[in-house]
Amino acid sequence: MTATALAPAATESVTSPVRLSFGRVLRSEVIKLASLRSTWWSLAIAAALSVGISMLMATASRDFGADFPAVSAIVMPMQFTMLVAGILGAIAVTGEYSTGMIRSTLTAVPRRGTVLAAKAIVIAATLALATVVSFGAAIVATAPLLASQIDWSDPMLSIVPLGYGVLAMTVCALIGLSFGFVIRNGAGAIAATVGVLFVLPIVIQIFAMFGESWHWIVDLGRYLPMNAAAALTTPGGPDDTTPQLIALLLWAAVGLLGSWAVLRTRDA
Amino acid sequence: MIVAEGLTKRFGDTTAVADVSFTVQPGKVTGFLGPNGAGKSTTMRMIVGLDRPTAGRVTVNGHPYQSSRAPLTEVGVLLDAKAVHTGRTARSHLRAIAATHGIPRSRVDEVIELTGIGSVAGRRAGKFSLGMGQRLGIAAALLGDPQTLILDEPVNGLDPEGVRWVRQFVRYQAAQGRTVLLSSHLMSEMSLTADQVIVLGRGRVLADASLDELVAAWTATTVRVRTPRPTQLTELLAAPGVTFTTTETGTLMVEGASAAAVGDAAAAAGIPLHELTPTTGSLEDAYLALTGDAVEYRSKELA
Repeated sequence: MTATALAPAATESVTSPVRLSFGRVLRSEVIKLASLRSTWWSLAIAAALSVGISMLMATASRDFGADFPAVSAIVMPMQFTMLVAGILGAIAVTGEYSTGMIRSTLTAVPRRGTVLAAKAIVIAATLALATVVSFGAAIVATAPLLASQIDWSDPMLSIVPLGYGVLAMTVCALIGLSFGFVIRNGAGAIAATVGVLFVLPIVIQIFAMFGESWHWIVDLGRYLPMNAAAALTTPGGPDDTTPQLIALLLWAAVGLLGSWAVLRTRDA
Repeated sequence: MIVAEGLTKRFGDTTAVADVSFTVQPGKVTGFLGPNGAGKSTTMRMIVGLDRPTAGRVTVNGHPYQSSRAPLTEVGVLLDAKAVHTGRTARSHLRAIAATHGIPRSRVDEVIELTGIGSVAGRRAGKFSLGMGQRLGIAAALLGDPQTLILDEPVNGLDPEGVRWVRQFVRYQAAQGRTVLLSSHLMSEMSLTADQVIVLGRGRVLADASLDELVAAWTATTVRVRTPRPTQLTELLAAPGVTFTTTETGTLMVEGASAAAVGDAAAAAGIPLHELTPTTGSLEDAYLALTGDAVEYRSKELA
């Protein structure tokens, strides 16, 4: 610190005055996400899992018989990578709370709804992009291994399951992000995310063994994020998947609304 | 200019800040003093909208901080050095904050240079020492070249050179007509830095006055006298309101009489004086006198 070089004024240009705008807050969130190693680790793990499991399934597809849709080899690893997406969403928020960064964030952008919207958009877009890239890599990598190739002429066997896959990954990241805002604690938010995405479907499977009177729980279980995503991405699944699509969107919407309610009212 | 009116903050049953009103004027350095738990940090957090007041309001430049279109250009705030993600480098941290306002990269480099963290700017903030973290926090506060600076314990953990830099920096900022509010536990540092002092105790404003007024009002002026005939001098000066204490070295401390009165009395009686020094109290004395009853976590007096 040199006393001679005291506070020169910020270099402002006339066309771009120094002030807040939503686009700038988005940019800030991109810088934040991209400047953490944990982001790249999470994305790399998700991509490696996705492509690796796809290749295994493609290799095994020779034994599955002719009615195994090739696109399933691409989307089925999501059962694991959705978890990584959820955790990435959670730590993007809890990392700010545990380190105190959130105070810097909220003093720079005191309108909290703006922070929530920007964070959600950046996380969602990152996961959507990363999923498209890893699906692309998996498609290329599995092509020589598959017994029969993806049928691009039938959208239900190609672009539709893939598109829903991208959506499901995005929703999972937003669920994690929401738990982050509501719980604030890293371990707590990750536990809640894993609970909803991974543990609840297993618990509900157990209820299926208890007979007819418990069947309503099993019915409800179809609208859990993981199960809804599986229904949407499985070619030849339920004929009408609209309820599952709505369920998935509701998970994201309710999570974000809950986050907003908490972020708006609670002291940082 | 920061104006707080009836600012109150309760956490459950605990009242952290109780009906606090004050004005922080531009062109001055205002010191925020008070024991731990007095409500200084909570008040600062309410100014920038991190905590919502239970009652009352606080404005910066005439409006609530949250409604500003460019908060970073209005208020630069250092609440604690730990408002940084430990996994991010100092430069990325500053760039992320600057990006929210479209502050150019050149300004990021400027504040890095200004606060002397150039050599560590590429390192992750989690590895920073307390002093480096403090400098990074100050750098972030300066990004928007703000009209108002709010610094909570800015010299905490800084080396002497850093302490002096902060002092000169905030004095320069105030001289430029900016508003500066800073808290510190270092009384000697505060007495060198502040023009105006607001003392908080148990969530209330105990005093809001200029440094000189505060010291004059809350400390007694004593006169240190050395003389070979102390008994005779005390007899001469004895009057209601005048008290004497003798130190171990034989120095006589006279409270309640001016140095001129002591000197005149001694001269009239032909008593030789070897020393006659008026001593005014320090900010620390004034502070301790003021907050005597308001210290929440009192330490035991050593016998």
